[in-house]
Amino acid sequence: MLYILRRVAFYLAAFFVAVTLNFFIPRIMPGDPSARIIASFQGRLNEAQIEAIRASYGTTGSMWEQYLSYVGQVMRMDFGISTVQFPEPTSSLLFYGATWTLVLVGIAITFAFLIGTMMGIHAAWNRGGFFDSVFTPINVMLNAFTPAVVALLLFYAFSLQLQWFPLGRAHSTGLSPNWSFEFIGNVLYHATLPVLSILIVSFGGWHLGMRNVMINLLNEDFVILARAKGLSDRRVRYRYVARNAILPQITSLALSVGFLLGGALVTEQVFNYPGLGKFTVTAIESRDYSFIQAQLLLLTMSVLVANFLSDIANVVLDPRLRKG
Amino acid sequence: MADITQTASSSLLDRLDDAALASAAPSQIELIRELRIKQKPGWTSRLSPSVAAFVTNKKGMIGVIILLAMILFSILAPMFSEYNPHRRAGKPHVAPGYEHVLGTTRMGKDVYTQVAYGGRISLAVGFGAGIAAAVIGLAIGISAGYFGGRVDDILTFFVNVVLVLPGLPLIIVIASLVDSAGPLVIGIVLALTGWGWPARTIRTQTLSLRTREFVLSAELMGEKKWRIIFKEIFPNMLSFFMGGLVLGTISAILAEAALSFIGLGDPNAVTWGTMLYWAQNNMALQTGAWWEIWPPAVAIMLTGAALVMINFAVDEITNPQLKASRGIGGIKRFLRSRGRSADVF
Repeated sequence: MLYILRRVAFYLAAFFVAVTLNFFIPRIMPGDPSARIIASFQGRLNEAQIEAIRASYGTTGSMWEQYLSYVGQVMRMDFGISTVQFPEPTSSLLFYGATWTLVLVGIAITFAFLIGTMMGIHAAWNRGGFFDSVFTPINVMLNAFTPAVVALLLFYAFSLQLQWFPLGRAHSTGLSPNWSFEFIGNVLYHATLPVLSILIVSFGGWHLGMRNVMINLLNEDFVILARAKGLSDRRVRYRYVARNAILPQITSLALSVGFLLGGALVTEQVFNYPGLGKFTVTAIESRDYSFIQAQLLLLTMSVLVANFLSDIANVVLDPRLRKG
Repeated sequence: MADITQTASSSLLDRLDDAALASAAPSQIELIRELRIKQKPGWTSRLSPSVAAFVTNKKGMIGVIILLAMILFSILAPMFSEYNPHRRAGKPHVAPGYEHVLGTTRMGKDVYTQVAYGGRISLAVGFGAGIAAAVIGLAIGISAGYFGGRVDDILTFFVNVVLVLPGLPLIIVIASLVDSAGPLVIGIVLALTGWGWPARTIRTQTLSLRTREFVLSAELMGEKKWRIIFKEIFPNMLSFFMGGLVLGTISAILAEAALSFIGLGDPNAVTWGTMLYWAQNNMALQTGAWWEIWPPAVAIMLTGAALVMINFAVDEITNPQLKASRGIGGIKRFLRSRGRSADVF
């Protein structure tokens, strides 16, 4: 319990750092958002209008007052009004996009983790064998292929040439979101290629991680004892070695969430998928600063939540933590 | 503050690091030294053991050769091209042929020239950011591990924060505020966000080295602290530093490509990422101009693959257990003949 409390304290502190960064980055940069917008009107604004723009970006008053009001806004999830989809509030756009990104990344991360971990177990168990010497390097190399390239190629082959999959969107235009099988099937059909392109560039990491941790465990006394007891190969492999090797995997799973969300950005752009990444790119093009800043906070928050969940999972899986 | 930093340093990852340290086998190089194994006669015997271990590693050398080829290509190839990468060189979307080895883009720019010039910038951004991140990681990791105490608590807290902050979204915030994020800006931001992992591994290693005899004896002899760090600890960090550098370079090259691809980079700069951006914007695939997409894509993939190979080699040198058991038959046989257990491998 103490362990969990300590972790929560760390996450709160980390979130606080993210909020502070988000506050200071635009203010130390040459030309803050409000100055840019004012400049873009080339002096056609009067004093009151300038003051109003400044106020809406929170750049009036002393630094300390600005900071306090910013923290207050963040706590209320009030990120201002979107300039792209005026007058939608930024937060509702943010959560709409986040839902679809969650669908993509959620499916991709689950499959990547399962496939990669199983392959890693196999490779470590037969170290130096055919599977290990061929697929370990190949899978890890796939990891170094940029999501942009993989997504473009999949899009070209399966959406444009073979036309097996749709050209974009999260679901067909005629359908409205509900929990029917038809709609869910339609969503999965649209998500197939984007998920695949995230999957291809990410499962190699799990493969290598699992393989390396498992190889280090293979010579441990408890494994040798288990073998000496005459336990079946299968049992030693999964219940003894893999069971222990999975712990660091879960920790790095949480840390990889941020990386995967970044990868989804590119994928969504290629497949025209209405997720957070797509909205972020639109926001960048139209200089919608409040959205760009809000997406960083939302993503940071999801990484922290993922880390917290992995801490809980570790406490459940590792009895040593419960005593400590 | 002190309480929070405490929690950070007792996180699960640290415990795992510690566990890995406790079970760390002596490295191949240490074993060769300790057992005074004569190395195979040949040109590698004249090299220092750590260099020899890398040079004789097949994967590592394949990676180095591919990487050197890419670097040489991007340095030399533009000299053989009569075209300017920024200027129109022919009709739009000319297929590869005699005039244009890799065809032209929608704008009529020569693809071959662009890939070669783009390589200069993409590789420079990648290596620049990778090296900078590894150096920052090294400085912070060694300081945290060697000085310990309060310094360690505070530094570890920041390392953990950098690890949990999502890198790409943070870069997007910064890059969107700079008018057009040129390669230099992207490189600097990538360096500032990428030092978490190297700092973490190097700190763990320093913690274990600090209690070794050679460091203790240097301390007892009254050596200055900075001298111990540079002369005693740093040489032992070289492979971890290299590992961090290689991983940092991969992620910087990929991140540069991703950022430019979504249109955050300077669209007038020629990098592999902006080439992909223009190819996507100009519907190169839809119009069948595969030669506009493939060259930068293959260049990124080859560079990534080469760096992954090198990282494999570095991993195998720092942790010989990872090496498939075949290559070390000689040492195993030697240990058996002396009646010593060969189980370390």
